[in-house]
Amino acid sequence: MGSDIRFGWTGAIGSVILGATRSEGGTRKISYRVGGGTTLPFLDHAPASSPLVALEICDEPQYWPQIVRNYCGDLVDDVSAWATTAETVYGADLIRLYLTSTRQRNFSDIPLVGKAVEEVLSATGLPLIIEGSNEPGIDSEVFQKCGEAGEGERLLLGTAEAGRYRSIAAAALAYNHSIIAQSPIDINLAKQLNILLREIGIQQDHIMIDPYTGTLGYGFEYSYSAMERIRFSALKGDADLAMPMICSAIDSLTIKEVREADTAYQDEMAVAWEFYAGLAAAVAGAEIICVRHPKTVGRLKKAFTSLKTGSDPTGRI
Amino acid sequence: MALKALDIYKLLPKKNCKECGDPTCLTFAMKLAGGKADVDLCPHLDEQAKAVLGASTRPPIRLVKIGIGERSFAIGEEFVLYRHEKTFYHPPGIFFKVSDTQTMEEVSAVTKRVRDESFIRVGSDLRCNGIALENSSGTKEMFAAAVATVEKAADLPLVLISEKTESLFAALVHCGTYRPLLHAATKENFKEMCALAKHHDCPLVIKARGLEQLAQLAKECALEGVQDLVMDSSPQSLGEFITASTAIRQLAITRAMPDLGYPVFLDATGSDIQDAAIALGIVKYASVIVTAPLSEASAKAALTLRQNIYTDPQKPIQMNPGLYRVGTPGKDAPVLMTVNFSLTFFTLQGYLESTRIPCFMLVVDTEGLSVLTSVAAGKLNETLVRDALIRFGVENEVAHKKLIIPGYAAPLSGRIEEMTGWKVLVGPRDAAEIGEYLEQEWKK
Repeated sequence: MGSDIRFGWTGAIGSVILGATRSEGGTRKISYRVGGGTTLPFLDHAPASSPLVALEICDEPQYWPQIVRNYCGDLVDDVSAWATTAETVYGADLIRLYLTSTRQRNFSDIPLVGKAVEEVLSATGLPLIIEGSNEPGIDSEVFQKCGEAGEGERLLLGTAEAGRYRSIAAAALAYNHSIIAQSPIDINLAKQLNILLREIGIQQDHIMIDPYTGTLGYGFEYSYSAMERIRFSALKGDADLAMPMICSAIDSLTIKEVREADTAYQDEMAVAWEFYAGLAAAVAGAEIICVRHPKTVGRLKKAFTSLKTGSDPTGRI
Repeated sequence: MALKALDIYKLLPKKNCKECGDPTCLTFAMKLAGGKADVDLCPHLDEQAKAVLGASTRPPIRLVKIGIGERSFAIGEEFVLYRHEKTFYHPPGIFFKVSDTQTMEEVSAVTKRVRDESFIRVGSDLRCNGIALENSSGTKEMFAAAVATVEKAADLPLVLISEKTESLFAALVHCGTYRPLLHAATKENFKEMCALAKHHDCPLVIKARGLEQLAQLAKECALEGVQDLVMDSSPQSLGEFITASTAIRQLAITRAMPDLGYPVFLDATGSDIQDAAIALGIVKYASVIVTAPLSEASAKAALTLRQNIYTDPQKPIQMNPGLYRVGTPGKDAPVLMTVNFSLTFFTLQGYLESTRIPCFMLVVDTEGLSVLTSVAAGKLNETLVRDALIRFGVENEVAHKKLIIPGYAAPLSGRIEEMTGWKVLVGPRDAAEIGEYLEQEWKK
């Protein structure tokens, strides 16, 4: 019905491969080809993939929203078990591991980083996104270690920014991983960073754009429009913006509305915030939606199924 | 497609009576052609001419008003597919659905919730809009009684949902002058529905599967004299909704199918992924969204998403630059510099309040840009910070010269120190970490 509207676009979103199965040289149970769309999200009934949902976890939970600990309990102290549960119980498509241990003052235990990546790789068969350090001083060693620990697994490494991309790019090039390129809610800056990355040798099919997502009520409208504009430019043929996008409204679980919600329904508030932001971001063009509350995972996946297949077996709409 | 001024002129009465406010029929025709006037301004047009002209001269999507009084609102009159092309003007109304088979107490309680509940963010009062009452009983007596109950509890915009014109007729006895939205005219019943809508001057939902069928029905209703229409494509899935709704918007604003130029209706009930339907309706062009009564969490998330999407993208939300106090800061209280993007301000303020450490917030004028963006654009720089320190007399407020700047402004720290003579401390990038930062870095 109505699917015959034509916008006259000539461009298409490129693809990025995440994860590698045994036959592809890795150890993952599954690998994904992200991207490939040729029109607005969900209007394309061709086999372009549904958005993927990544659950974000970390190796040092003191830097994580309290609400996740309240919900998951001691699980958050054991990153391997957390990763396994993300796959088997929460039903995530991907796991995004934040190496928050590197945020500790004067952190220098680089081998620990490699160990965390290896542990999570063996705890789950899902492809991984790895978030390295926040500290330029140790970036080079941290990303090198992550890259090495995940060699052959086609990781997605984060996060490159305009002033800070060489270490991560070096690790991605050396071990054939892809990278997240983040720019501050601005289509031109996103394009600029992609060009910088291309110039130092990162292939287009190894980049995912992160236009930076402010959560609902905290700048989400800017991110939403940045994503729409990036998608639109790509479809009109701008190859420097034709990479798939990743969205993580990481503030969702720490904003006032969630923090100050009555404890009886704090989880519900957190999930509602992540869900509404995540769904809207997918409609604007994000292909990977990252969330932190386990309950958001299943809800988003169910909604994407109904959006993608045109019908949901459990409900009329 | 749009008619030319001369084609329009041929359909006008050519009396040059000036009653439309224009000196001649020709000038009126030229305005109509440019979408700058409404056909209804001409009192001498026959219905046929009105219907023909209506579809091709009015704004690409008709403005439809629902309800009367304080809580009434308008939908439609949108011009773009993407909010960044201009803006979205008329946010969708969210209606809580009740049924005439529920008890009077239940119906009344839901009505009072919509009447009373609101929450304030960034200075705006956010509310759901009205009540959608369904004639599940199938009887006109129960429907009328339920309408009376709703009316007794509040003056809210209504959607009356029934396929039976006799039920609607009975309900309209109670609320016929309040412009409720009637749901729905179909291919089978549209003549009777149009008669009702016309008699009470109510907006009317038309319902059909398929865009051609909807356009045809819209045309027929317009010929019956009802033009305040809202369209329900009765989607069977979220995928069908987004496809139909996008197509309607695109075909309407390009005037490729002017008969689709009406606001869109979405019934989000009947599924456990109702939240998905609501979110989708908000971002993808629904103007009336009917939902089961929402939990507080869903309501807040939905209303916040709606506020975000319907914010004019050309106007950054700004705070006045200045020195703001959190608690009652003394001479030794920390001073935190931030930007005048209001969301940055409110976020930081929220976290600072929960630290219970009294402090000053020095808000500098980045013209509403966030820290990230203003640093990247060079708008946030050492001169701006120096000028703000002087202008707001910060030296008179505190007995130290230490300034905490946002983590994302770290590249500026050296230059700010040189230009201001203040010692710069680089705070966290994420406002959520400010409490911990102050505990560790400031108190020591």
